[in-house]
Amino acid sequence: MVTILLIAVLPLLFQGTYARSILVVCAINVLIAIGLDIVIGYAGQLNLGQSAFFAIGAYVSTLLVTLAGVDFWIAFLAGTIGAALAGAGLALFAVRLRGHYLAIASMGFAIIVYQILMNWISLTQGPLGIYGIPPPPAWRVPSIGRIDFSDIRNFFWLVAAVAIAAYLLLRNLLRSPVGEALIALREDEVSAASLGIDGARWKIFAFAVAAALAGMAGCFYASFVGTLVPDAFFITESFTVLAMVIVGGAGTLLGPAAGAVLLTVLPELLRGIGDARLVIYGLALTLVVLFMPGGMAQAARLITERAQHRQRRR
Amino acid sequence: MAPSVPSPLVGEGQSEGVSARRASSVLSFLPVLLQQSINGVVLGSLYVLVALGLTLIYGVLLQINFAHADIVTLGAFAAYFFIHSLGGGYLSSIAVAFLVGGALGWLLNAAIFAPLRERGDELRPLIATIGVSVLIENLALAWFGPVPYAFDSPYSGQVIRFAGAFITIQSLLVVVVASATIAALYLFMHATYVGKALRAVAQDRETAGLMGIDPNRLIMLTFVIASALAGMGGAMLGPILVLTPFAGASVIVKAFAIVIIGGFGNMEGTIIAGLFVGLIESFTTQFLDPGLIDIVVFGLLLATLAIRPTGLIAERREENV
Amino acid sequence: MARTIAAALGAAAASAWLAAGPAEAAEKIIKVGALLPLSGPGAYFGAQDKQGIELALERINATGINGTKLEVQYEDSACQPLPATQAAKRLIDEAKPDIIIGEECSDATLAVMPLVAQAHVPLLNAGSSSIKVTDPGNPWTFRIMPNEVMQGEDLAKNAANELHAKTAVVLHENTNAGIGNADIFEKIFTKLGGKVLANIGFGRDVNDFTAIATRVAGLGAVDVVPTYTLEGQGLKITQALAQAGITKGGGGKAIQIATIWLPQSFDPKAGKAAEGYIRIVQFDPNDQRPVVRDFVKAFEAKYREQPTHLNAHAWDQIFLIADVVKRGGHDAQSIRDALAATKGFEGVTGTVTFDEHNQNISMDTVHYVETQPDASWKVLKWN
Repeated sequence: MVTILLIAVLPLLFQGTYARSILVVCAINVLIAIGLDIVIGYAGQLNLGQSAFFAIGAYVSTLLVTLAGVDFWIAFLAGTIGAALAGAGLALFAVRLRGHYLAIASMGFAIIVYQILMNWISLTQGPLGIYGIPPPPAWRVPSIGRIDFSDIRNFFWLVAAVAIAAYLLLRNLLRSPVGEALIALREDEVSAASLGIDGARWKIFAFAVAAALAGMAGCFYASFVGTLVPDAFFITESFTVLAMVIVGGAGTLLGPAAGAVLLTVLPELLRGIGDARLVIYGLALTLVVLFMPGGMAQAARLITERAQHRQRRR
Repeated sequence: MAPSVPSPLVGEGQSEGVSARRASSVLSFLPVLLQQSINGVVLGSLYVLVALGLTLIYGVLLQINFAHADIVTLGAFAAYFFIHSLGGGYLSSIAVAFLVGGALGWLLNAAIFAPLRERGDELRPLIATIGVSVLIENLALAWFGPVPYAFDSPYSGQVIRFAGAFITIQSLLVVVVASATIAALYLFMHATYVGKALRAVAQDRETAGLMGIDPNRLIMLTFVIASALAGMGGAMLGPILVLTPFAGASVIVKAFAIVIIGGFGNMEGTIIAGLFVGLIESFTTQFLDPGLIDIVVFGLLLATLAIRPTGLIAERREENV
Repeated sequence: MARTIAAALGAAAASAWLAAGPAEAAEKIIKVGALLPLSGPGAYFGAQDKQGIELALERINATGINGTKLEVQYEDSACQPLPATQAAKRLIDEAKPDIIIGEECSDATLAVMPLVAQAHVPLLNAGSSSIKVTDPGNPWTFRIMPNEVMQGEDLAKNAANELHAKTAVVLHENTNAGIGNADIFEKIFTKLGGKVLANIGFGRDVNDFTAIATRVAGLGAVDVVPTYTLEGQGLKITQALAQAGITKGGGGKAIQIATIWLPQSFDPKAGKAAEGYIRIVQFDPNDQRPVVRDFVKAFEAKYREQPTHLNAHAWDQIFLIADVVKRGGHDAQSIRDALAATKGFEGVTGTVTFDEHNQNISMDTVHYVETQPDASWKVLKWN
């Protein structure tokens, strides 16, 4: 509750469009990262296709809004469902493939989606790009008045609310038998099957949920940036999200959310350094993986344990 | 975009009957088919040089190495500077790139893979190599700058023409070096004790222990060989691809596809798949559109995996040595 | 005082006001934000832009402009919409620039345009070719380079009229600029009675162009091959077309033509294959106009290499800003207004005169050159 309140006042603490934009991008990336955590951290499936679901959400919703004049929220729903269906489709491969085969297959899937966006110019505009994508239409709330999403604070609250809702929903879901089934699947598929867990069905479920969240993020991304080109969804985007999950700590949900925030804010903070920015980013990523294998989640646990230990000694 | 029916030669047959015209157009089309086959084999040989290292590492460590691409890039730059700053010859620059690649492989294993291997996790080394890749790319950008280098080997300008087709000596050299490398690697793996041990580790770690060879040393050796091949691939690719700090990245994605289609860890499979992908590329360019190459290659990859989950040529579990 | 005189005089040649005398004591700073791709493959543009900017700053700030100096704040916009909008927001929030220059890539420029307009800061663009930047454009965005339509129409007309070309095969990278340029050439060339045998696009990750050259060779006799790529792929295409015996450089009949993507250092790198290549260049380092000689001399002294069109564009952007400041621009609004009134500003890439869409309409920025056997340029008087 305190955390939610803290997140809610963030855009008031940070003045200026730039700082608030970083907050919005953080919220968008949190959505994608916690989604991917379900697949990687819980179901134990190495999925490099997250950039494709992000793209599908962005393009489906944007094309519905700009070409068909559909209401943003209906387009949002369509983008989310579209991404989820694509996720379920990719999961059919996951059911058959293991480990690194799945990693490359999902990477191949992401590359195909990217290339389709590049080449189907009559529909997607390809590299020519789509411009002037509007923000979600304003809400009229009785007694509060008009909530205009071209105001970046309102946009942040909207995305943050969706991200928090998704987080809480996933957390409760993963504490239920669903989470146990997924973890059992990750640890040992054969014994999971002997416990009566239908591996295929749960994999499809995990992929679809992850893809749906990425799709939602894509809808927000397009209406936030206002410009859509396929290059935003190149395969490297999948690597970035994967890095968020690992740096945060896979399989902890809160970790990847924190990882998303860190890896969004870090390159922006490093802007002051100038040309050495990405060198330091690469170095930091490598060092974290080397010396903090459990990611930020593990580091946090260690720190609290030590603090408790010290208290006990007193 | 459908290719229109080709060739300056067709013109002569135009006054004759339709069937004759068709026959002559098919005939005149043969050089194009021959040429595209040559192009495909040359490109495929380059891919094989890069993909072999990936498949070696996977076979022994079950690890994916994204930094492999950057070793290709650095190998190309090593060869370039050996020629342009130290006045070396092109052929000896290939050897230099081989050594530089090997040294980088040693470093990469000592710094990243060896420490992470203890923890037995397949994800983290992969992320670490992504981090290393970002690091190397941007260091290279700072050092070498973003303007493409003109890496001309003395052989790129020399063209052999035959039967209506052509090949540059450089391209021929690529095919020759790739074939020689494959032969040497095959000999090493099958005729030397260490090579046999490597294959044994790829199948079963404990067997290697029984053979009395320290698996850590074998892993180090694998890394050095794989990376030396990548560095050498860089020197071979240098005169053919666009030499920038991002050069290797443009090849690596296809190399992954090749490794999978060939069956991870399977050398013969990788070679066949590499040539196959090279041919697909040149024929996609001829009959469809070069923009569709990735869709065709990865579409085939997914189709392959849908039918055979372990690749076109299955991951091979050889009998113990 | 000096400001009103300058405004009355209108555009002054860059060299003229440099001699205007030492800086006055009370120093005013005009802040220039530079949105440049400084990381990733787009750094090809950003690094060269930065060289031109730094050199121009040294020159201008040595004396100041009637007591005003220019200060540049760089921001990495990475050639992509999201990083570009983030970089623009940071610039606007923190540096509070009076004017912004950049981006190079059309999609990044188009993405930041609404933001910059909303903040009421003028955006001075040089390198984005998409027609949308200035058509419809917005009152705050200016472009000193001829857009894709101006260049493409001119090239197609000259191919048909000067080279008497009947057939063409268009090769282009699959980017905003590549597709835009290729499509305009095809449209105009076809209208003039020419025939485009194929319009072939390829990704920026394609390395080997032998397969594409083979396909072109199979299409039959072709008169011109317009190619739209950057230096790296351009090198490989030119060599592959020559090896396949299609273009003049390889003993064929076809003439490779193009618009402004390649510097003069390209031709020696491509070697014999580039012989007979005809293209539009924005900047000719051999141009004998005094402003160009001055720039080339200064550039070669500082960087020990020949300046490219990207270096030259950046130099012109900074000198145009200095000119505007001299004409009375002192904040974002007055700089915008003075920019819009620019007529006949003499830069190293040509003159600048903006139309009502803030597009430079001077066609003297379009120079045609033909590559000679010794890799030098012969200037063609087509304009």
